[in-house]
Amino acid sequence: MSFPARVADYIQREILRDAQPLCLLIDQDYQLLEAWGDPQWCEPDDVRTGADIRESFEFLAGLPIDEPATLKFVGSRRRGVLHAHLVPEADRCFVVLLDATAEHDAVQAKQQSMNELRLMHARQNLLIQRQRDLISELVETRSELDHHRQEAERLSANKSRFIATMSHEFRTPLASIINYAELAKRPDAGSDTMQKSLETIERSARHLTSLVDAVLDDASLSAGMLELQEDAFDCYLLFDDVATMMAPLAAEKGLSFATLIDPDVPRMVYTDEVRLRQVLINLLGNAIKYTIEGGAQLVAAFKDHKLVMTIADTGPGIGEKDQQRVFEAFERGSRRGETGAGLGLTITLRLVELMGGEMSLDSIPGEGCTVTVQVPVSAHDSDSPPEEIALPTLGDDALATSPRSVLVCDDDDDMIALIEHYLHRSGYGLITSSDTSDAIAKTIKFDPDLVLMDCNVPGIGGVDAARVLRQQGYDKPIVALTASKLRDEEKDVFTRFFRKPTPMQELLREIKRLTH
Amino acid sequence: MISITSKICIVGDFAVGKTSVTERFVNNHFSEKYLTTVGVKIDTREIECPDRGITHKLVIWDVAGSDRFDSAQLAYLRGASGYIYVADGTRANTLRSLVYLKEQLAELYDDPPAIALVNKSDLHTDWEANEEHIDVLRTQIGNVFKTSAKTGDGVEHAIDSLADRILDKIQQQS
Repeated sequence: MSFPARVADYIQREILRDAQPLCLLIDQDYQLLEAWGDPQWCEPDDVRTGADIRESFEFLAGLPIDEPATLKFVGSRRRGVLHAHLVPEADRCFVVLLDATAEHDAVQAKQQSMNELRLMHARQNLLIQRQRDLISELVETRSELDHHRQEAERLSANKSRFIATMSHEFRTPLASIINYAELAKRPDAGSDTMQKSLETIERSARHLTSLVDAVLDDASLSAGMLELQEDAFDCYLLFDDVATMMAPLAAEKGLSFATLIDPDVPRMVYTDEVRLRQVLINLLGNAIKYTIEGGAQLVAAFKDHKLVMTIADTGPGIGEKDQQRVFEAFERGSRRGETGAGLGLTITLRLVELMGGEMSLDSIPGEGCTVTVQVPVSAHDSDSPPEEIALPTLGDDALATSPRSVLVCDDDDDMIALIEHYLHRSGYGLITSSDTSDAIAKTIKFDPDLVLMDCNVPGIGGVDAARVLRQQGYDKPIVALTASKLRDEEKDVFTRFFRKPTPMQELLREIKRLTH
Repeated sequence: MISITSKICIVGDFAVGKTSVTERFVNNHFSEKYLTTVGVKIDTREIECPDRGITHKLVIWDVAGSDRFDSAQLAYLRGASGYIYVADGTRANTLRSLVYLKEQLAELYDDPPAIALVNKSDLHTDWEANEEHIDVLRTQIGNVFKTSAKTGDGVEHAIDSLADRILDKIQQQS
């Protein structure tokens, strides 16, 4: 179809005016053969016949010209925006270029708004997603806080239960001590009553001591203040000692008790004997305490430089739910109504960990319980037991063999009376004092052979009193005897440090050693 | 010195920074203003390669942003010696778009050297794209560079490496 001549002429005029076309005829090597048109957007030099047209129209570089193509909105710095039409003919190609700047600007304005809207939408989505993430984090944090709160409440309840338990546990032996002491003081108390009262008082006092030790051990372990005292010792003797201690308890309940030691276990090992003994006593004590029928046994083996001790019982066992809790302070799992601080397993676990070991519990309710303790030990060079030292009787090594005097500073009259009783019987001269200023004055004046100092005495306290004595030139032994815990630098002030309650024979032996 | 001209097409989703990367590479300039590209913008830069004895003229086709090429855009890409795929690190979906674009091109044209730029590294703290996204891009396209057209970080190095690979390919073919 062809347009009427007048319309065709009109269209040509319009296109020539608006699009300012340029038509180039190029060969396969992009050389310009001929050009038509004289657009304002093009310099005459750009269309030199015979020149490589790619120098002037860079977009043709690399562009195949053997197929028809339309490139809309081709922009460049030099010529604005063009529509490029490639019209191949035989081995040549017509390139028709039309100015598209005005059309480009209109399309761009529209596209710009659309893209900005899409960008805004994308940013909005991102913000919504971040908000969702923050809400999720918030929910998670809140859940964690709830968990921590519940944990804190549980621990607080445990502490409260502990205080109630302790109150009861302390009151029972205290009541016994008070009542039997009153009974013993009665004028009509016969020697049998007196003897029975003293035995009961002693038993109650020992029970109180063990309770206090448990609480203090737990506190020390919690604060990381407990230090191991490692040394080489005969572990066969240890197992034997523990068995000797436990067998009567099992027998009392009609339970069997056995100790089996694998021959691979080295006799001499290097670790903290006292703490290992405590671990075994706690675990075997529990095994016997909670077992009603059957028995308990201790099996010791040696594997990978570890002492492996298995304590098994035929007791009621521990349910899976309680297996973690029994290791927490003041917990007894489901075993309510038992006596004790509820600290035994906590302390045991912490001691084992302090020794670099591991403890595991395996139990099926109704079928008993097996606790395995693995403690790394180094087998000592000498596998033979140390030469046995026959412990001398109290009198042999406690008695003063030459006149010696001891100054005792303590504000507890009963304690002074007790020490006075033993020191007099052992042949020591005694100077007593109940406060630090008096003790310092008497020490300077009488120059005793040894000062036995309580740390919590009226005045400047035993530690500072010892420091004053040293400053004033007193160079004889000063021994601390106290119920308080001392820091290392405080212990250093003293020649020796004893913690109450201390076996009297041990104290007397040390006094003799230091004064003779 | 021999003069070699290579057509390089720079493609990717809208507003990822294709024009800014080109502007940084060609004129070492950056504008904060976002201006949509319509059609294609042609720019050139010559790189001297004295060790090869070559002056390498890069004719860069900055193609309007899209997550899918239409027929008009595909016409721009014919005869390209290399592709620069550009994504915006703050929009992870723009990295996924590159994978679709790459697949579309692979169906139609030869496989010339290509690199991918994850742009806007100056906004790294706001990036939605993570290493997992980048690994996918690396598997699909090959060399991936983190760039910032704003600061210029990585731009020159990335495009130089593409230009080198184009020359390697030309020299292998000749």
